[in-house]
This record gives sequence, structure tokens and C-alpha cells, in this order.
Amino acid sequence: MSLADLAGRLSRSDLSPREAVEYYLDRIERHDGEINSYISVRGEEALADAVALEKRAPADRGPLWGVPVAVKDVIDVEGTVTTCGSYVTEGAWPAERDAGVVAGLRDAGAIVLGKLNTHEYAYGAMTTSPRFGSGHNPWATDRIVGGSSGGSGACSAARLAAGTLGTDTAGSVRIPASFNGVTGLRPTTGRVSNRGVFPVSFTYDTVGPLAPSAEDCALLLTAMAGHDPEDPSTADVPVPTYERELGGGIEGLRVGVVRSLLDGDIDARIADAVAAGIDELRGLGAQVRDVSMPMIEHFGTIQQATQFADATQVHAPTMRTNLDAYGPDVRARLLTGLFIPSTVYAAGQRARRVAYETMRKAFGDVDVLCAPTMPVLPPRIGEDTVELNGRTTLYRLTIIPYNSPWSLVGLPVLSVPCGFVDGMPVGMALIAWRFAESTLFRAGHTYQQATDWHVREPALTSTTA
Amino acid sequence: MADEAPSIEYLRAAAALQGVHPSDEDLEAVQGFLSVLLPAFSELETMTPAGTVPAGMFVPIDQP
Repeated sequence: MSLADLAGRLSRSDLSPREAVEYYLDRIERHDGEINSYISVRGEEALADAVALEKRAPADRGPLWGVPVAVKDVIDVEGTVTTCGSYVTEGAWPAERDAGVVAGLRDAGAIVLGKLNTHEYAYGAMTTSPRFGSGHNPWATDRIVGGSSGGSGACSAARLAAGTLGTDTAGSVRIPASFNGVTGLRPTTGRVSNRGVFPVSFTYDTVGPLAPSAEDCALLLTAMAGHDPEDPSTADVPVPTYERELGGGIEGLRVGVVRSLLDGDIDARIADAVAAGIDELRGLGAQVRDVSMPMIEHFGTIQQATQFADATQVHAPTMRTNLDAYGPDVRARLLTGLFIPSTVYAAGQRARRVAYETMRKAFGDVDVLCAPTMPVLPPRIGEDTVELNGRTTLYRLTIIPYNSPWSLVGLPVLSVPCGFVDGMPVGMALIAWRFAESTLFRAGHTYQQATDWHVREPALTSTTA
Repeated sequence: MADEAPSIEYLRAAAALQGVHPSDEDLEAVQGFLSVLLPAFSELETMTPAGTVPAGMFVPIDQP
């Protein structure tokens, strides 16, 4: 059942918020032991929230009235410790208030079921938390869930919440969306409040929804987008009611295929799946053409030139006093940031302008860009390499070329499931110009009306938590 | 910019100047990152035309 379907059933009183919460708590109890997507479950609190919502007058019920959701554990939920998946936070106090995005979801009537597994401090793409253990991919539990919002991807895929929130700095919503076979949106940087969200990099971070369908993500984004006076990085740009802009089809939509990524260092079977997805868009009326993008191979380097220092600056006080509490991989990344010369940071900011102008020019001729979300299948847990067309390569090196180009200039990206390779889902990325999320949702929704990749669910067999 | 990662001794001293005291094992992992990053960063200086202003903290809001 999609989030949109559930919201419809709740609004028609086909079931109550309490029944919806009980349904998901039962699924969590039966299945989360298999995939380890939750760090904490707010069972009693969620049931109490449901009872309180049932007392609301119908006129006061929002579009997400009674919809159970779950959020990545770098996002504050009042009364719950934000663990960031790290031993560093052991003994921390519970958050005193909700993050801006959580407040938005609650205002719309959503119920927070719990906090989801994450790569430590959202600084990595594996979700192998040293404190809470690795997430397990619901499509093959010996494989990783991706990250850093891996718990969000796995939870959505296993239908252990109606929808989830993740965060994205350089792919952390899109990668788990692709690896777990769900839809995920990285919104435009500045579209959504980051207040109450533990940062990786202030200039790249954004919170995004993961759920079965584009329509589900539209509902979630409407509830949480907009200017936040307490977060100066949010833009004062009007927020559409995204779910009302899904119709109309994509006849004449100008889609640019980023040929260098589709023909790049990518598993050929994934490229075939994405190419089939592009054919589907063409069949639905899109005007598809190839797009070349000068210097795109350098865009990942530009993001790294700034992101490493940003992240290390946030953690520097803790690194001086409690360095050993970090897991080895995050500790190494944070330490690396100590040695990025200030001249590199400055050069990166100037090169970022070049990338921005390159991208702006590309969007003069197209409405949407299209590329593979990820070029590889998820590695097996405990391994940091993947097979790529018959050779072994480091997983982390495959991520940057396919994800950083869009984060670098703050563009919105929607990853939609577009097929399976070796029984594992793969994703197609649709990219739009800044604040054009409506176009992405319309394209994604039209594609999902014609395909069924997004409604397929993994077989879960566990009966114990 | 040098293409080779700095020595462990250099990294240890530079970290200490910033009040951080990692193990040699940690610094070997850092060398692994820097050996990939530093050569790539060298190219940044050559790809930016003169007069290009920084993107700043947040990229601008305008139309394509």
C-alpha cells in the first residue's frame, strides 16, 4: 500500500490512525529484525499521538492525517535522542523540539513511528553503523542498503512505515532509493529547512522523502517545504501543493539524456535498464535528446574540495576530545578534512560557479535531465568493493560521478525504480532546475502510471524482531 | 600542489597543531584519501577562468 493510498483510506475513515499505527508496529515487530532499519521505535508515543489525532475535528485534519512515518536518526524528534548512529552520542539528552521538517509533517497530521538507521553522522554511503549494526537490504539481506539514509530506504521498501525522511549531501537519499527499489527525492538545496538536522555540510545538505511512489514523495514534500525563519539557508520561494500538479502527462517534455553517464563506468545491465526507462519516457511523449556536459567528470572533485572541510569543521571540537568514539571510516574522512588546504577550498568555490553556469546552460535546452542513479549494485555487507563489468572496483569511487554533479549546484533529483538486475532494484535519476520539483513529480508520476517497478515489494520471511 | 600524500610524521604534526591526536593507523587511512584527492584538487586551479567569482555559501536563485 502506498502512502497516498493509506492517506486516502484514513481520510475516508476506512481505518483509524490507531489502526494504521498498530499495523506498522506489527510489521516492524515481525520484520525489522531481518533488515535492521530502525534504531528506535516510538511505539507508545505513536499510539498516543494517534489517539490525540482521532480527536481532531475533520476540518482540522491535514493531508497526512494519521499517516505513520519514520525519520533518519540525524533528524530531531522531540523527546528522542538523535543518535546519528554513533557512539559519540552515548549519554546525549533527548531533543527538546522537533526539527523543522518533522514539525511540518506533524502539522499535516503525520505520526512519527521511530528513528531510522544511518551511516554514522550521515557521512558515508554504506549504513554500517558501528553502534547499531549494518542495515540489511530487504531484496537480499547479505547486501548493504546504501546510504547514508539506508534505514530510510530499507524501511520504505519493506513497508515498515508509509513514508520516510532521509538527508542528502552527495547522494544519501538517491543511493538508498535506488538500492532498495523505492522513490526518493533530493529537493533543491534551500527548499526544505535543515533546522534540527545534524549537518554534514551546510552548503549541500537537504532533507528528502523516500516512499514507494512519486505521488507519496509529493505529499511529504508539500508538508515540509518552505522558508523557515530559523534556517537562513531556506529560500523564500512559494511552495506548490505538489500532489495537485502530478497530472497532465509529459507530452512535449524536453528530456536530456546525460550520455557520458549512461555510457560511462557503469554496469552494462543497469545502463540497459535505464535506457529502457528512457524509452518509456519517449513513448509517453517526452522529446528525448542527448546532452553533453563539459567538465562533468570534475564536478565530484569540486564538491569534495569543499565538503571535506565543511564536515570536519562541524566535528572538530569532538575530534579533539573523543576521536576514538567515531567508527574507523568516518574518523578517517573527518581527519582528512584537517588537511584540505584553504586554497583548495577557495578554488572549489570558484569552480563551483563554473559548474553552476555549465548546468544553467544545459537547462536552457531541456526541462529534465536523465541519468542512472547508481552505476553499480549494492556491495555485500563487509565488502567495500563491487563487481563492475568483470573487474573489481572500490564502491565509494563509483558514487561520486553519478551523484555529486547535481548536489554541487543544489538541483532537485528524483530517483525512480526502473528495473531489476540480479534480483536487485535499480534507479533512474530525473534532474530538474532549481525549485522545479513539480516537473520531476509529474514526470515520475507519469512514468509510474505506465510501469510497475515501484509497486514491487521484497519478500520478507522473518517472524521475530 | 604536490601530488603525493604527506608523510605520517607531517600529518601527525599538522593534526596536533589543530588539537587532534590520531593514531598512525588513522593517518595511514588519511594518506589513502589524500593520495586520490590531492592530484584531483590540483586540476581545480586550472579549470577556473580568471575572474570567476566564488559560488559563495549558497548558489544563487535564478533561471536557466
